[in-house]
Amino acid sequence: MGAAHSASEEVRELVGKTGFSSDQIEQLHRRFKQLSGDQPTIRKENFNNVPDLELNPIRSKIIRAFFDNRNLRKGSSGLADEINFEDFLTIMSYFRPIDTTMDEEQVQLCRKEKLRFLFHMYDSDSDGRITLEEYRNVVEELLSGNPHIEKESARSIADGAMMEAASVCVGQMEPDQVYEGITFDDFLKIWQGIDIETKMHVRFLNMETIALCH
Amino acid sequence: MFLLLPFDSLIVNLLGISLTVLFTLLLVFIIVPAIFGVSFGIRKLYMKTLLKIFAWATLRMERGAKEKNHQLYKPYTNGIIAKDPTSLEEEIKEIRRSGSSRALDNTPEFELSDIFYFCRKGMETIMDDEVTKRFSAEELESWNLLSRTNYNFQYISLRLTVLWGIALAFTGISLLVVGTTVVGYLPNGRFKEFLSKHVHLMCYRICVRALTAIITYHDRENRPRNGGICVANHTSPIDVIILASDGYYAMVGQVHGGLMGVIQRAMVKACPHVWFERSEVKDRHLVAKRLTEHVQDKSKLPILIFPEGTCINNTSVMMFKKGSFEIGATVYPVAIKYDPQFGDAFWNSSKYGMVTYLLRMMTSWAIVCSVWYLPPMTRETDEDAVQFANRVKSAIARQGGLVDLLWDGGLKREKVKDTFKEEQQKLYSKMIVGNHEDRSRS
Repeated sequence: MGAAHSASEEVRELVGKTGFSSDQIEQLHRRFKQLSGDQPTIRKENFNNVPDLELNPIRSKIIRAFFDNRNLRKGSSGLADEINFEDFLTIMSYFRPIDTTMDEEQVQLCRKEKLRFLFHMYDSDSDGRITLEEYRNVVEELLSGNPHIEKESARSIADGAMMEAASVCVGQMEPDQVYEGITFDDFLKIWQGIDIETKMHVRFLNMETIALCH
Repeated sequence: MFLLLPFDSLIVNLLGISLTVLFTLLLVFIIVPAIFGVSFGIRKLYMKTLLKIFAWATLRMERGAKEKNHQLYKPYTNGIIAKDPTSLEEEIKEIRRSGSSRALDNTPEFELSDIFYFCRKGMETIMDDEVTKRFSAEELESWNLLSRTNYNFQYISLRLTVLWGIALAFTGISLLVVGTTVVGYLPNGRFKEFLSKHVHLMCYRICVRALTAIITYHDRENRPRNGGICVANHTSPIDVIILASDGYYAMVGQVHGGLMGVIQRAMVKACPHVWFERSEVKDRHLVAKRLTEHVQDKSKLPILIFPEGTCINNTSVMMFKKGSFEIGATVYPVAIKYDPQFGDAFWNSSKYGMVTYLLRMMTSWAIVCSVWYLPPMTRETDEDAVQFANRVKSAIARQGGLVDLLWDGGLKREKVKDTFKEEQQKLYSKMIVGNHEDRSRS
């Protein structure tokens, strides 16, 4: 009984820190144990056990995001080697649904956090800017599965998109002005109008405890 | 009566009498019905009583939990993610539509927001994926008094513990007696066909009773006939016993050593089964040839095959291997669905060995399952083996109420094949390149 008691205290702490409900935390804990093979930490190799993830073209970026120190709030660059359950929940909390009881300010804060997560996914060298190279890299990965697209067309798609992004952020550029890259503020401008806070969340099934009526 | 018994001690006399009574009961209630295929309906009564007890037990547990003000663990049997069936294209278009200042460009080539769809999908699969959860035992919503299926074991009250202990002891003793009888009935010499069929049948029926299996057969007029192939979904080695106790089949499998090997060799003497050496299993043409030969001989029994290739936990049906569907014989599909409340029949071979598994089967309350014989199917002229296999699989999944998955059961031990990985990427890139070409043309 003693073990059960301290476990539920931990759960309450995690509920406060990450915003998931205690049911969801229990479920995620079992998933964590399944992924880690009952170890206390997860490494990159453990994600190879999820077959559905293999289909995802940006799987390496997603896995990397789990170990990114910026997402784990442990530093401004670099990768961790392994993460424990609390770190796992921290990353998952970027995808939790928006609480309807939140006020406008909190919603904006949530939105910024989620967008920052996406920004980190693009900005792989942690310099605070998405350069043309990094942008190309993402487009190439997304299109990498198709053997019919040559590298050249993937590049030109990326270049075209980058130019559009530049026109949104900077407006008209002088002919010899070099566009260094998309900063986080520019990134926010591009995403204006897309209500990502209602779309960027994992759709949990609504499970209430079943009532027995007899 | 006391004059007849040679022993003086009262205790020994009593023991002798009780053993005689026990054996007589055994003979009357188990062995004789097994030989003639008749049932007294005792097991059905037993099943009804158990159900009532489970409902009562769950109530007590909930009450116990409420008193201590703790949350009960509620298992989510369908996973925790509500997956909408929208396609890749729809989702990305929706996100783009809500973007800013896109009045001029109707079909933009690539957006920063596109990454978002894949990102979310990736997160969802990390949280819960369709495949991995098929390879662990199914979770029940109410408890069936077996501590192995319950995560809330700490809330059990004293009364439940006593009931559990007594029932377990009783089951153990009676099964010991039945088990020894089973071993004595294995066929070991040459039998004529008629005799061999009945011996097989009797043996399986006794096994069924040893496991206290309560089986309901549906649509028995569709039972497999000679020269056909019977396919079924696979949950455990018990599937074989369940199907073979209601019909006559020729088995297919690999030659084993030890006890299994002895049984296999003995069975082959009675009627022709198809056993492959380990080396022959790799050679697909040889396997196909032998199966075809067997099927074309109308005097031989129908072959029993499990095309999934491995044990699945009975919530879904996974990809059928196309080998048995290429032969061109009539296929008789059979759906087997176990009721998990009475004991989980799934064999997790990485967790339990065969002996441990059988012990668990015997010590669970009962094995309750339904078997549906589906009408026979043949391959149409315009479909290939894979499509035929999928058609049969869907029919089985529909009848048994199981989820129909395209995934390969071999994923239990291996990785995803590269051909599957590229599908999603091709779809997305087709979308973008299509737009790109339109642009450059205009």
